[in-house]
Amino acid sequence: MSAQATAGSLNKGDCLVGVTDIEAPSLDVKADHVELFGAGIAAVVSETLERLGVHMALRVEDQGALDYVIAARVEAAVRSARPRVPAIRPAVERESGLHDRIRRTRLYAPGNNPRLLVGIELHGADCILLDLEDSVPPAEKPSARVLVKHLLAAVEFSEAWVRINPLGAGGEEDLAEVLLGRPHGVCLPKAERADDVRALSEALARLETAAGIEPGATLVLPILESGKGVLHAEEIAGADPRVAGIAFGAEDFTRDLGARRTRDALLWARSHVAAAAAAARVQASDTVYADVEDEAGLIAEATEARDLGFSGKGVINPRQIGPVHRVFSPSEEEITQAERIVAAAAAAQAQGSGAVALDGKMVDRPVLERAQRILRLAERLGKETWR
Amino acid sequence: MRNALGREIPEVLAGRTLRPYEGAFATTPTGRKASRPQKVVRPGEDKVLASLEAAIEASGLSDGMTISFHHSFRDGDRLVNAVLDACARLGLKDLRLFPTALFPVHEPVIEHIKAGVVSRIEGSMNGPVGAFISQGGRLREPAVLRSHGGRWRAVEAGDVAIDVAFVAAPQADAYGNATGIAGKTPCGPITFSAVDAQYADKTVVVTNDLQPYPVYPFEIQQGWADYVVVIDEIGDPGSIASGTLELTRSPARLRIARLAAAAVKASGYLVDGFSFQGGAGGISLAATMFVGQEMARAGIVGGFAMGGGTKLLVDLLHQGVVRTILDGQAFDLDAIASLRADPQHLIMDPGLYANYDSRGCSTYRLDAAFLGATEVDLDFNVNVNTHSDGQLLHGIGGHQDVAAGAKLTIITVPTLRGRLPVIVDRVTTVTTPGEVIDVIVTERGIAVNPRRQDLRERFASAGLPVREIGEIKKDADRLIRPPSRPVFGDEVIALIEWRDGTAIDVVRKVIGWE
Repeated sequence: MSAQATAGSLNKGDCLVGVTDIEAPSLDVKADHVELFGAGIAAVVSETLERLGVHMALRVEDQGALDYVIAARVEAAVRSARPRVPAIRPAVERESGLHDRIRRTRLYAPGNNPRLLVGIELHGADCILLDLEDSVPPAEKPSARVLVKHLLAAVEFSEAWVRINPLGAGGEEDLAEVLLGRPHGVCLPKAERADDVRALSEALARLETAAGIEPGATLVLPILESGKGVLHAEEIAGADPRVAGIAFGAEDFTRDLGARRTRDALLWARSHVAAAAAAARVQASDTVYADVEDEAGLIAEATEARDLGFSGKGVINPRQIGPVHRVFSPSEEEITQAERIVAAAAAAQAQGSGAVALDGKMVDRPVLERAQRILRLAERLGKETWR
Repeated sequence: MRNALGREIPEVLAGRTLRPYEGAFATTPTGRKASRPQKVVRPGEDKVLASLEAAIEASGLSDGMTISFHHSFRDGDRLVNAVLDACARLGLKDLRLFPTALFPVHEPVIEHIKAGVVSRIEGSMNGPVGAFISQGGRLREPAVLRSHGGRWRAVEAGDVAIDVAFVAAPQADAYGNATGIAGKTPCGPITFSAVDAQYADKTVVVTNDLQPYPVYPFEIQQGWADYVVVIDEIGDPGSIASGTLELTRSPARLRIARLAAAAVKASGYLVDGFSFQGGAGGISLAATMFVGQEMARAGIVGGFAMGGGTKLLVDLLHQGVVRTILDGQAFDLDAIASLRADPQHLIMDPGLYANYDSRGCSTYRLDAAFLGATEVDLDFNVNVNTHSDGQLLHGIGGHQDVAAGAKLTIITVPTLRGRLPVIVDRVTTVTTPGEVIDVIVTERGIAVNPRRQDLRERFASAGLPVREIGEIKKDADRLIRPPSRPVFGDEVIALIEWRDGTAIDVVRKVIGWE
């Protein structure tokens, strides 16, 4: 297509929008079954142009894009042709992020791939992580930001995070755009010092105020994925009240060290990250497991992470959600045992006895607290048996 | 007149008085079955003829008559085109084509329609021929679409009198015994032709692999066959899969399949003896696989699985997860090999499994079935024939027969296909009435037919995401502007029969857009 600016692609679920003339308004829609979809597509395009306050000639080649995708592609193409056109500010109602939500899984989704984004919220992940960093090629970052913003505005998420690029490497532009879609939180890659987190927090505070969002509503999840980042886990975890957790990134970490990704090579780093999170009373989330076909390997790595004190793990395919949830949820046996411990403690208290015993063994305070935590988790998870 | 579903049906269509649909099991057949003319073949008589032309001439086929075919080669069939070409060479006109189904490979039929060789079609149309008719290509009479069982019934009842049945036979003997599971190009059972071969005035067995007497299993029997013709090519078994056998990798579709399997597990039907229809198509196939895994895990030994036969079902048979496979057609070569080798893999014909006017169908013995849809509506009606643009593009297959029979009929559909909503207020065409649909499983939740409160309760207590169908629809509709709607004229291009021969709907010609 000969155009002054384009956005999108001809992949399934996407559309390719080109600005063909910024002076004379017109619209050319190409789609399979254009009788069925042409009018709807045209309506989305003209509404989007109206929100942008511009009139120009566009050409849209549709491959089954949903309305928010079309709107995002139109906005990205228009702003690429006329950079001074202000961004669309969608109306989004969203609860503020909650620090202690259960996050057994955070499902990564590439921020510029509509086919993989459609329905991403339906797979039951505890939170979705819309990625603008590693999975988006540099040339696509401007349109990916816009797409993520429109997706956030169009879909109800139980919890949506955006992984931005590092500040100074596109992160500010990412934030300015996606905050208009009100994500629950922002994930900061390659965090290495507390100052990185504070800089992000200050940028968020400015943007929240400008966007009319309650200050502090947006949570932060720094990813520690270098030697420096892991060494400074403690200061990063405690850097700012927005921090809900810290995540470990094994791929970049091993590359930084020149290490191999073996269980032993990661053991110290993961233990350190888990301890730092505990010290700051935030969550610790484990790295992703890249081999989607290897469910046994995934379960083994998730189990290790759980045993080290992590409360969740990144996943890159919906197929990984079920196995990881099973690992990070209390089993029937654990729940039964926890109920027995709590009941024994209550009985002892009723009898005025300080010492709690069960099956001939002393139940000391940490054991009781762990049992109480299991029961709280089980109650919050509720019934989710069909998987 | 309006039928029991509120669909507007003409009282008379092409001279035929229509009976309106009254309900899934409302009608009772009367009278006696049709029959073919008597004939005798005496010892020493030879049935083998030299060519299709010779068989056509010997059969007495003339203008205006009806010829029939099976579709077991699916998109690899060569016989329909070869016979029509021969008819054209012989100058025949105005034939009525009565195949079990047409596929994209049958696009040349369009030229024969234009040339007047074919003027009427009764049979499923998958692809270009359906599109041609939808787009104004004229037949002398509207097409008639029937289910597998409905077609069998129509022949037995005499609704359709076949003049000459052509049976593509991967292996046959000179006396007309024929099978589809052996030979140079096996296509799976050819039992779809069994009713044609028994009721047609003349039956022509066409093979590319003539073997010494007797060929067995005789899905087609010598006593039914008038002539045998040997030609070089009857079909390409490489195409029987027709692209419906890829296990889906789409996360949304896998989620639907997992939910459907979980619904089966929660339904209470998944106990020893559990019998099910394993469909083709990505979602159904994956759901069948998940149910099989659950049965193996829980040590449940199933009763019978009903095909189209696939490698997946064959594996379940060999693992002992099911006792028997009942197969009317093969969807891959593994199924054909198994039909030859395994005495528990049984050939059945559509009369056995699907015929309404009979003393019982195999589908009535099914516990569960997974079926697809192009559209479903708020009353749980299902459309598999037309697209939302009004184009006639698919046959019924066994959809009606299975849905009517199974105790738990599950429709597995995504809520959106690109920008196209699958759940609509009212389906463009009713293929299968909501009365026989129990559950619709989508990636956004499970809708249970209000008639099945029992299932609703079981699903809810198993933690399944049960929702009102209207709520699921609303969620999907929020993501798209509604598509434009076609405006239909009065002209009827196809009649959709319910499996008992009543008119469940008609497809009218699109004359414009709203």
